[in-house]
Amino acid sequence: MTPTIGTLPDHGHDQMLGVLARADAARLKAFAEPLIAALEGIEVRENRTGLVMLPMRDTAEGTHFHLGEVLVSEALIACDGLEGYGMRRGRDLEAAMAMALVDLSVALGRNVPACNDFITSEAAIQAAEDHETLRRVEATRVEMETF
Amino acid sequence: MAYVATRGGERAIEQSQRLFRAEMGAITPERVAELRRALPYLIDRVMGEASLYDEDLAALALAQTGGELYEAILLLRAWRTTQPRLAVAAPVTQESLFTHRRISAAFKDIPGGQVLGPTLDYAHRILATEVLEGATSRPEPVEPADRPAPAQQPSVAAWQAANGLLSAPRADSTTGNDIPDVTREPLLFPAPRAHSLQSLARAETGGVLALGYAAQRGYGQAHPTVNELRLAEADLRVTHPRGTVFSAGRVKVSQAEVVSKKGSALGLGFAATLGWNEVKVIAAATLDLNAKGAPKGSATEEEFFLYHTEGVESSGFCIHFKLPHYVTFQSSLDAMRDARAGAAGAAPSKQAEPAE
Repeated sequence: MTPTIGTLPDHGHDQMLGVLARADAARLKAFAEPLIAALEGIEVRENRTGLVMLPMRDTAEGTHFHLGEVLVSEALIACDGLEGYGMRRGRDLEAAMAMALVDLSVALGRNVPACNDFITSEAAIQAAEDHETLRRVEATRVEMETF
Repeated sequence: MAYVATRGGERAIEQSQRLFRAEMGAITPERVAELRRALPYLIDRVMGEASLYDEDLAALALAQTGGELYEAILLLRAWRTTQPRLAVAAPVTQESLFTHRRISAAFKDIPGGQVLGPTLDYAHRILATEVLEGATSRPEPVEPADRPAPAQQPSVAAWQAANGLLSAPRADSTTGNDIPDVTREPLLFPAPRAHSLQSLARAETGGVLALGYAAQRGYGQAHPTVNELRLAEADLRVTHPRGTVFSAGRVKVSQAEVVSKKGSALGLGFAATLGWNEVKVIAAATLDLNAKGAPKGSATEEEFFLYHTEGVESSGFCIHFKLPHYVTFQSSLDAMRDARAGAAGAAPSKQAEPAE
């Protein structure tokens, strides 16, 4: 029988993963560590660094081509028939593992309220950072005039 | 090809490497972190040419080589080969970029407007010599606008296509490992466009600038105008084992379109690279614009500019000339002496060489 896969009440799976991938590494690790207690018999299938090739679409002819590779760290863990996955930029294997722990906890329906709150909090921090960045960008808006 | 093996230099080689590294002193995590923090544009340039995006690794490579860029990029390209490729991300589209800078020299009123972003384009170039006398130069803080700029901006080229100025690009259904890749296949000519754009993305900045500048000065067929220049961040969109596509983080990218009138229509050249490096993408887009129909052996011919802007190959070939070539050079000398002797009507004579 395929186990039921849990979700967060306030965030889609893609949003949760995106927030975790960008979350502050120290906060993510501190949050994820206590989750291990509810994941007995956890199996680590992958925890490694590697590369992800990043393609781009050319706007002149529409061709897809490779820009170059990005260093990432990846973790794949399993417990009770479900997998948890983490992939983040950089070489912090512990942070990728922490991401996978949150993913697995949510999938198994364990500590869901705490995970939901953590994602909500990190999403707000990231949105605020983006907002501030874009206010600074907007300050450079230029209205060109020709004479 | 005849090279001679050198023998007996082991100690000298060891000491020469120590001498090179002695100038730099200890490489510490603090030094690497400071390089990353203080030199973002150099870090970007290194990541683009290494075709490997990671600021910490780029800073480490710079620290380890004392800023000898060719060595730093070679280190990174070599290190890259130790890593498995885990995935190919979804293709980045222009409209999805988190945009920090977007300007056009062709149209002042582009849809979405123009934001200068971080630039010294309009700055006075004055060296802050007071720092050398003990002062601290602190940048004036940005005064943020009340409202944010839109994170995503529309494509100028799409707007031009909608207005009949350009042909709309075709859709490309090639994705993942099916996209041609010069790190896994030889570069052959005529090159697939994907190979050409990938090679320019990882090309050496100075080489691309030299050849792009030659085209801009008149050694090409088309004079470029920057249609759109962007400095932005792109999401690295990967797939979870259960199929969910998500962003594993953002990376800085630059992209440029240059435009020129070709007959009764406009022609568009394109280039992009990892990191923020606008000189490189404008020069590379100029080469792309000029490549079609370029004369054989000209600076704007694809084979010419792609081969000669590959930094690791070209710097490696250049510096190999300083390695021992004693046998080949002695052979040249023998041939020269024989020719001279023949011209003088005398029989070639055997001369003892200093190395013999």
